Amino acid sequence: MIARRSRPFMRRGSAALTGILPFIALFAAWALLPALAGIPEFKLPSPGKVLNTFTNMMADGSLMAHVWASLQRLAAGYLLGNLIAIPLGLAIALNRAVSETLTPVLSFFQSIAGIAWVPLAIIWFGVGKGSVLFVIANTIFFASIYSTVIGVRTIPRVLFRASLSHGASRWDIISNVVIPGAMVQILVGLRTSMAYGWRALVAGEMIAGTDGVGYMTLEAVQWYQAEIVILGMIVIGVLWLLMDALLFTPIERVTVRRWGMVR
Amino acid sequence: MTDSVAIHLRPRTLWISRAQRRGTAGILAVLLLWQISVWIIDLPPYFYPAPRDVLAAFGELIRNGILIEYLADSSWRYAVSVGTGLSLGIIFGLLIGLSGFWSRLLGSIIRFFYAIVEVAWIPLLVIWIGYGFPTILIAISYVVFFPVLYNTLTGVQTIQPVLINAVRTLGASRFQVLTSVILPAALPNIMTGLRVGAGFAFRGLIFAEMIAAGSGLGFLIFDGASTRQTDRVVVGMIMMGLLWLLMDRLLLRPIERATIERWGLVRAQGGES
Repeated sequence: MIARRSRPFMRRGSAALTGILPFIALFAAWALLPALAGIPEFKLPSPGKVLNTFTNMMADGSLMAHVWASLQRLAAGYLLGNLIAIPLGLAIALNRAVSETLTPVLSFFQSIAGIAWVPLAIIWFGVGKGSVLFVIANTIFFASIYSTVIGVRTIPRVLFRASLSHGASRWDIISNVVIPGAMVQILVGLRTSMAYGWRALVAGEMIAGTDGVGYMTLEAVQWYQAEIVILGMIVIGVLWLLMDALLFTPIERVTVRRWGMVR
Repeated sequence: MTDSVAIHLRPRTLWISRAQRRGTAGILAVLLLWQISVWIIDLPPYFYPAPRDVLAAFGELIRNGILIEYLADSSWRYAVSVGTGLSLGIIFGLLIGLSGFWSRLLGSIIRFFYAIVEVAWIPLLVIWIGYGFPTILIAISYVVFFPVLYNTLTGVQTIQPVLINAVRTLGASRFQVLTSVILPAALPNIMTGLRVGAGFAFRGLIFAEMIAAGSGLGFLIFDGASTRQTDRVVVGMIMMGLLWLLMDRLLLRPIERATIERWGLVRAQGGES
């Protein structure tokens, strides 16, 4: 009933191999289905056509231009949002009165952060880079600050009292209790804000963008270029997997080791 | 930090807590700042509407019944889609999680599809099935399905075998093992999945309604902007925030608390290995 734990010697290799099978099946279905079921090319283009579009767009550099535009924007929004959110979140959470006053406001703004701001952003900044950047930074800021505030507030009070009774200064408390104590939640915030920011980026580009992978994907719908739509989806999936593997898996591994990852 | 002692000494005569009073003050302060910024910025209401304009738009939308209709549409779409995604996620999570072979087979493809965010599916769905509820249903249940599936899988795979063996020695059938051990043990994980999915799904719904619907809060926000009725946009955003907070407080948190209270302890005791 439970995943069997026998045969460890061949497990890794065979697991990787087994994992590829569904992709092959999916690919075969994709290649054969349009012909068998009579699905028109504009609805489901063949893998060959998508591959062709991919090589064409790689050759003329337009695909990389879109990817680069999206990643740059995401990085800018991510840095901007987090660099303001984390210090501000720590500062807010340090004072009980301030954090109690702001918690409902923050949780309200956190719940509307992101896509809902796109139309307003278009009115304020016009269609283009400014709007999308505003939406991403806004999403990331609120996701991250909320997490940071919660992180500080859930530190057991006894830790503060213990360090105070040992004569810790305010700065000692910040560096030895608050930051390490909130670190897990801050990292959670860094991660969730990336996930929300990524969605906001794709959605924002679709509605308010003039370039980027999101723009590329929705723009193609108007011309019924399903091959670009599918290419865009694959690019979006692969980019997320890459970011996840390169950025977050290492961070998580380090924190799990360092902080014994809680609970 | 040091005033916590005082709290315990103060008699609890007030019917709202100090945190709630402070929170209300915070909300009022934001409204006040908004009004002041309107006076300072002094731009036409379509660019930067004042609280008064938004209140007027709210009254109008209530009177002609649009807001209620849109709220009902959005909530209904959300409930049906999240329910579909949740049940499918649990079913497939259990099916796949209970077999080592299936989880090895499907693990990577699930991860791949999880990475293609629901937002990216909407253009293709529009090409395939056009605008309307089916597109929204698929996109939103998609975004709930994958985190629930993924977490159910993890929950099932981290159950202590000794628990299952124990019930089996007592003569439990396969079905009994499922309902009395596996499902309860996986429940906290399922809830985590639901929480993640529900948050993404709500924003996803707003986006899907902007692109693929003719009603709902997302449509209200989007349509308000394209017709330069910015006050309506703001009404839509505020309603969206309130709707989410309401669902979070009345639905998600109670469920979460119930599962943690009911099963959390059991898990903590059995979690030592």
